[in-house]
Amino acid sequence: MQKRVSAYLALLLSFTGGAGYAQQRFPHPEFESGYVQPEPELPDPRAAPLEYLDVLVLILVLLLASWFIYRKRSRKGILWLGVFSLAYFGFYRLGCICAIGAIQNVSLALFNPGYAIPFTALAFFLIPLVFTLFHGRTFCAAACPLGVVQDLLVARPVSLSPGVSKALGLIPYLYLGLAVLYAATGTEFIICRYDPYVGLFRLDASFLMIVLGVGFLLLGLFVARPYCRFLCPYGVLLGWMSGFSKRHLSITPAECIDCKLCAGSCPFDVIEKPTNGQAAEEKESNVRRFLVYALLLPVFLIGGGFLGGKAHLLLSGAHPDVRLAEVLASRPEVKNDPDNIDVQTFLASGETMEALAGKAREARQKFYYGSIALGAFLGLAVGLMLLRQVIFRERTDYEPNKSRCFSCGRCMDYCPVGKELKQA
Amino acid sequence: MNKDQKIQLFSKLAAGSAAVGIFIALLLLLNYLQARRADPLESAAMEALLERLEEEPNNEELKTEIRNLDLLARKAFFNNQWQINTGALLLLISAIVFGFSLNMVNSLKSKIEAPEEEDGNEFLAGKLSQRGILIAGAALALLALGASFFTRDHLQSFEGEGSESPAMPAEGIEVIDVAAAHAGSPPAATDTLSGAVEETAPADTATAASRLPEEEATRPAISYPGAAGVFQQHGSFRGPFGNGVSIHKNIPTEWDGAAGQNILWKARLPGTGNNSPVIWGDRLFLAAASKGKQLVLCYNRHSGALLWQKAVEGVPGSPPAPPKTTDDTGLSAPTLTTDGIRVYAIFATGDVAALNLSGEVIWARNLGLPDNHYGHSSSLQAWQGKLFVQYDTNKGGKVMALDCASGATIWEKARKVKISWASPILAPVGEKYQLILSADPLVAAYDTETGKELWSVDCMMGEVGPSPAFSNGLVFAANEYARLVAIRPEGKGTIVWEQNEYLPEVASPVAADGLLYIATSYGVLACYDTGNGEKYWEHECDAGFYASPLIADGKVYALDREGAMHILRHDKEKQLVNEPALGEKTVATPAFANGRVYLRGETHLYCIGR
Repeated sequence: MQKRVSAYLALLLSFTGGAGYAQQRFPHPEFESGYVQPEPELPDPRAAPLEYLDVLVLILVLLLASWFIYRKRSRKGILWLGVFSLAYFGFYRLGCICAIGAIQNVSLALFNPGYAIPFTALAFFLIPLVFTLFHGRTFCAAACPLGVVQDLLVARPVSLSPGVSKALGLIPYLYLGLAVLYAATGTEFIICRYDPYVGLFRLDASFLMIVLGVGFLLLGLFVARPYCRFLCPYGVLLGWMSGFSKRHLSITPAECIDCKLCAGSCPFDVIEKPTNGQAAEEKESNVRRFLVYALLLPVFLIGGGFLGGKAHLLLSGAHPDVRLAEVLASRPEVKNDPDNIDVQTFLASGETMEALAGKAREARQKFYYGSIALGAFLGLAVGLMLLRQVIFRERTDYEPNKSRCFSCGRCMDYCPVGKELKQA
Repeated sequence: MNKDQKIQLFSKLAAGSAAVGIFIALLLLLNYLQARRADPLESAAMEALLERLEEEPNNEELKTEIRNLDLLARKAFFNNQWQINTGALLLLISAIVFGFSLNMVNSLKSKIEAPEEEDGNEFLAGKLSQRGILIAGAALALLALGASFFTRDHLQSFEGEGSESPAMPAEGIEVIDVAAAHAGSPPAATDTLSGAVEETAPADTATAASRLPEEEATRPAISYPGAAGVFQQHGSFRGPFGNGVSIHKNIPTEWDGAAGQNILWKARLPGTGNNSPVIWGDRLFLAAASKGKQLVLCYNRHSGALLWQKAVEGVPGSPPAPPKTTDDTGLSAPTLTTDGIRVYAIFATGDVAALNLSGEVIWARNLGLPDNHYGHSSSLQAWQGKLFVQYDTNKGGKVMALDCASGATIWEKARKVKISWASPILAPVGEKYQLILSADPLVAAYDTETGKELWSVDCMMGEVGPSPAFSNGLVFAANEYARLVAIRPEGKGTIVWEQNEYLPEVASPVAADGLLYIATSYGVLACYDTGNGEKYWEHECDAGFYASPLIADGKVYALDREGAMHILRHDKEKQLVNEPALGEKTVATPAFANGRVYLRGETHLYCIGR
């Protein structure tokens, strides 16, 4: 354990060199008239020591979450730790910095050499992934404010059919691909823009985002953690890491007595039941299907790439240069619309239409290749998801699915073996 | 409180918070729809009032009404914002209370459930999952295909149009559709006033800017006036060659604008502008501009009759909305120039146009919107078929010579200077005229034929507004917070002397007969020796100077911002001649003709004489 902690600390220290950060450069002017500066929509940049504090808090929360799950086996501990994270990363830090949004900073840094990724963004992206690789998705359980706010409101969860659940499970891959594509092309940080909960943390958002946020909260009463399960792009990465995690939450601390009490305890439908020999029965059929899907994998990959390329025109429409050039080329009369701020700003800049069209074509070219990559990624995701459905592992106990389990610890409370051990 | 009571309490709490939440959500929705229907910041009443203000810029009651309405609109906007924010907070609280209560009810009602039967079939679930994944994948594929079918590449069509367009002229000349510009308005009747050479505007859509070389060759050669002809007129800002010295005599020294003493005529101007009048023969030209309207005006300088007014509009590349400018600069600060064949105008939009003396647009082009935080104010100079444009902006400086006949760029030179508001002057040095410009940090001279930089002196700083002056082989340049320098325009340019006691902010220096005058924005008119910079005298005035002083008829005329003209003998001894008042504020520099002074006030044009 000590070695592991040292490894985390060494990893953290290795990030501290050479990373940039932003600070308020000029103080706000003061007005004698009593004018009060409006609150900015985005949080102010933080001083460097406070940024390091955020990273330190994240590490401490993750360490405590692991301790609660593996040593204390305490759902209550996880719950209150989550409440703290919600208060700190959600309402105090106003949802920024956030590991989910950091995907975009990393993507932009990878594809734009001129962008210096802030240290906190890199740390918030990597640290939860590293912890997940060792301990499962403890980040989702207790450190992510978006996850916690949904978790607290789970009231009467309904169980979705496997088909619907898997079909919706493809959306996070799409969202991840789009987020990377738009960040890499310098178009937009869509995860931040369309975060349904950040408006609630900041108590300030557009009307439609407020509706979306409240809608997600209400949906979460019945469909547990809808954002985490069917949207979160970071969840895709965490799922990959967690699948390979060295340790993972177990429902029972000792041998399972097969009491079945935990079977319905998970509102996220991630507890897998004992197979009772079904795998052997269906082996032949599964092998056949596995071969078909394995052979189809390159088809999914290439076909996805082809279709992605086809969609590049639509996808590139979000790029500001492309959007502006398209509007001006298709509706030249918009130049006379004084309320179209984008068009008026462009006209006032003195830039020529040819120059704008050149920039738009350049951006679209990037989108062409990016869309092919996105399509290929989605094709591969479909292929691999299908393959996973035909790989059956013989199970004798009730076990949480390592990739999808949020490590919330609810199931632990249902285990009589664990309670007996505690009392003993 | 027992378990049942707790369940009852939380059930009621859940129901109550749900009701409150739904009620708040409905209120928010109504608020949102109302704000969308009637945005307080986009009111039609305000638009109408602002349009009225364009027509009546000095209507104080109207201004107060606009301010009051604006205050109301802002209050309504912030009230709406407060309602949304408070509603959102209450909605969040009710959602949390609802969730918590429901959670508690659920938790209190929960009991140990009987273990479920072994009904789970992993293999069946796997099949359902595969079907779900395949359906989702197929939906994505269909979406991508649909996107490829239903998305149109407008950039492709733009490219096609661009390559087929034959009208795109070389060297970035923007073509104006003259036929369209003149549609419905017959050419103005050509008057028979003296001193004008007539040129007809293109009759069809082909403009001078897009004429073919063969057509250019077949046009009759136009003889531009020489220096003697220029000196007879007041054809540009600060008179001949922009030097501020007039040869005209019998310039009046007594008038009273308010009482009408010696006011031969007074005409109400149809628009606003801070440019100064220019004169050629019997015509006087001015420009005016407001949002969406750029006018060139021509008056009969004897009668004050408005001969014609022409809108410079529809210039390709011109921004549909004018740039933001400050009131003391405005959209039409640059003074026109005329060579007796055409009159040339430039506006804050970057639109530059040539009109014949009948008011027909010969050519017009947009030079690119000048990035200027006060508004473009550099006036034009025309000489021997070339129109000189000083274009120092926040995005870089340049000087251009355009063909007076076609608007084509003859030469263009980038300048390593900051933004400036000064105007070019022409100075005879040796056998040639040099084009001399002042900006931060350089005072520089250019060959009028090639644009080659002849010399430059690093001596200016700040926001340079005053133009340079030339007299007796020396160039004078000054700017507030910089210095006043005398430069010998030979070799690389050498500073002969420098001074920094009185420095102008806007008004340009003027020099003749060994005397140099500086008019400051804080109301001091100072006289120096051009040879060594020694100060002879100073004269303090109640108001500051934006209009540049001029020398004419043995006197120096300096018009302050309140409209008082300070007339002093053009002499090393200070002798005040008179200080007649116009009775109207002014920033425009006067124009002189024999026996006449022409002054542009805020709203009127005056002709003064006996």
